[in-house]
Amino acid sequence: MFHWLEKNPFFFAVGVFLVIAFAGIITILPNFAESSRPVVGLKPYTVLELAGKEVYKKDACIACHSQMIRPFKAETDRYGQYSLSGEYAYDRPFLWGSKRTGPDLHRIGNYRTTDWHENHMWEPIDVVPGSIMPAYKHQFTNLADIETAYAEAVTVKNVFATPYGDEFQATKAAWEAHKPKVLADAKAIAADMKNQDVKDAVAAGNIPEVVAIIAYMNRLK
Amino acid sequence: MNALMIKGLLFAAVLIGATIFVVKSMNIDLSDPINMITIIGAIAIAALTVGVSTKYINQMKSDTASGELVDTNWDGIGEYTNELPSGWAYSWLGTAIWAMWYMISGYPINAFSQIGQYNEEVIAYNTKFQEIHANPDAATLTQMGESIFLVQCAPCHGSTGDGLSGKAHDFTNRMSKTQLLDVIKNGSNQLGYPMGAMPPMMAQGADAEAIATYIAGGMQGEQPASYGACASCHGADGKGMAGMSPDLTVFDETLVSNVIKNGKKGVLGTMPAYHDRMTPVQMKALAAYIATLKG
Repeated sequence: MFHWLEKNPFFFAVGVFLVIAFAGIITILPNFAESSRPVVGLKPYTVLELAGKEVYKKDACIACHSQMIRPFKAETDRYGQYSLSGEYAYDRPFLWGSKRTGPDLHRIGNYRTTDWHENHMWEPIDVVPGSIMPAYKHQFTNLADIETAYAEAVTVKNVFATPYGDEFQATKAAWEAHKPKVLADAKAIAADMKNQDVKDAVAAGNIPEVVAIIAYMNRLK
Repeated sequence: MNALMIKGLLFAAVLIGATIFVVKSMNIDLSDPINMITIIGAIAIAALTVGVSTKYINQMKSDTASGELVDTNWDGIGEYTNELPSGWAYSWLGTAIWAMWYMISGYPINAFSQIGQYNEEVIAYNTKFQEIHANPDAATLTQMGESIFLVQCAPCHGSTGDGLSGKAHDFTNRMSKTQLLDVIKNGSNQLGYPMGAMPPMMAQGADAEAIATYIAGGMQGEQPASYGACASCHGADGKGMAGMSPDLTVFDETLVSNVIKNGKKGVLGTMPAYHDRMTPVQMKALAAYIATLKG
């Protein structure tokens, strides 16, 4: 075989590429696997948080906000501890973003609260004069798709072995059994909010998008 | 002059012509030395490319192999008995020495670490900060407090500290009547004062109303009789008995640092704890600045 390779420079080059690529893969991949393991104490997103993550994607928050704090003093002063790759273990996909028209949101849950987000989503310039962020009033009336969020949780559990409990099953009965938990989470958020329509909707068993996205924002710590 | 050189000169002329064309069509200002150097560089690159490649192509065409071959050959590939080129030999030696250094100390000890660099940056900054602000005077503290306030506090409390019409605590006034009524009704056990929890319902109805009006008004005028319920902890003058309980009249350093450490949930909303975001000196500075906000 080597004799043949010596006479065929093209295939020799292919062989060299394969050998070096293999060496690269076995050197690099174990490090990747090591550092992308979930950090200690990391929990998978709840269904309400996942629904909020969907709102985040749908309303294209990623176009202006990042979720990745780099290890620079200026950055950690403003946003908190720098991000570790293990913190994104249950982000499918991760939403690092690459554009900071607005601030980074990776630890927003540490320094903003439900009532602030409520004011801010309704009319950003009321709390941040000069902000160029648009108002997201539709989130107060549009309902979050918690059923799809549940389906997403079941899917990542089955496909990627994300540690959701055994009660997460792709059956209607399992969803019906889980739904009260989602509503309870939503009620806890709505209790800290002031908008009466949102409170009424949650009491009636409907979850406006703003509740879901606030649950997601509060989760980012 | 052979055909190859003519082709080479033509090619160089095309390259230089194209460069001149670009300079003309883009109206590039050649009085700017940077532009001039760039153009000279471009022409030099064209000339060198053509010159060097012409030389070697000529050599490849005309050179014949000379020298003594070794006896053995490998699948018809032979080898000259040339001396080892000294440049190659020194490079090889240099690489070997560098590889030793890299293996023994370069990689294990002097490897680049992003987090290490970050830690160094933070330590250097903190040392400098402590040096400069070991004993800050009042003006420095207020100034430092203002810049911290604008970054960390203004998004909720507003850049003037007025709480953005009731969205957060208003620093121009110690407490509003709404907040007072809420605290009197629900008590408070959040701030970690030595006096401990304030029980709910210390006063009710008209009494609570009177206390709230009195304190919200800055404790001016006649003290309502029902204030007695407050005086046992906050003192008759509302000064909080020298740090035992919150001062009801001003934002003092103890109050500010306690709220920063513990956060606060009140009728207006929730404030998260901020203590891991600032140093003790910065907290002191913030307290100094907030104290100036009350009109």
